[in-house]
Amino acid sequence: MTSAAAVPDPLDRTLAALADPHRRQVVELLRERPRRAGELAAELAVRPSVMSRHLKVLRDSKVVEEASPEFDARVRIYSLRSGATAGLRSWLDAVEQGWADQLAALKAHVEQSP
Amino acid sequence: MTSRALVALRIAAPPSQVFTAFTAEIGQWWRPNGLFALNGRSDGRLAIEASLGGRIIESYPDGGQFEVGHVRVWEPPDRLVFSWRAASFPPDRETEVHIRFEDVDGGTRVVVEHFGWDGIAQEHVARHGFPLLPFQLRLAEWWRALLYSLADRATE
Repeated sequence: MTSAAAVPDPLDRTLAALADPHRRQVVELLRERPRRAGELAAELAVRPSVMSRHLKVLRDSKVVEEASPEFDARVRIYSLRSGATAGLRSWLDAVEQGWADQLAALKAHVEQSP
Repeated sequence: MTSRALVALRIAAPPSQVFTAFTAEIGQWWRPNGLFALNGRSDGRLAIEASLGGRIIESYPDGGQFEVGHVRVWEPPDRLVFSWRAASFPPDRETEVHIRFEDVDGGTRVVVEHFGWDGIAQEHVARHGFPLLPFQLRLAEWWRALLYSLADRATE
């Protein structure tokens, strides 16, 4: 039998991080814009301590990152890491590939015509 | 709008000919593919009604039709703008396609800009938790990596 230890650690952690519905909601909210931990707790209606646990899991699995604004080091603002926000970009890449295929077909059609 | 797909290609024919080919002859060259499977079917034939407000229609052998969008700018041979939605889009969502036919030394540079994917992606996020396509691709990669690593372990 193959043990669970065969799973690469980062992969395992990312999957585990996103398996929780609250953490998926956090990812959805952060897709719109960065937010403070307190805002996230309020929007999901969970206690700050619960949110802070979720955010730690998301941080450890490299789904989100935290930063502090220059004017106040106590404030923590969470945002998706660039890899996580690559979703829209890869979507657009797929659209561009689709159009590139269509234009190639148009070109073949036009240039074959007498 | 930042959520823009941009593609351009040179075609060895004047803009008037390319504009006509793009619109009147679209059914002859358009290739349904995964992303552009407008109604989840691959046997459709696409047509553009040649006027402002004209419909973009996909017709099927059984007589069914799917309305993809409407012509919003009809300026042959330079410019064409139409709305665009696939059946999988949420009801109130659509994207917009802008096409320019630029004269370059007697040939044509066709520039396609496809706007509005941000909204679509966000709707999918709201409904499915992630943009559908990229998330599925990423998930597939995860599973592939998982299975490879499991296979490695199993054959050691």
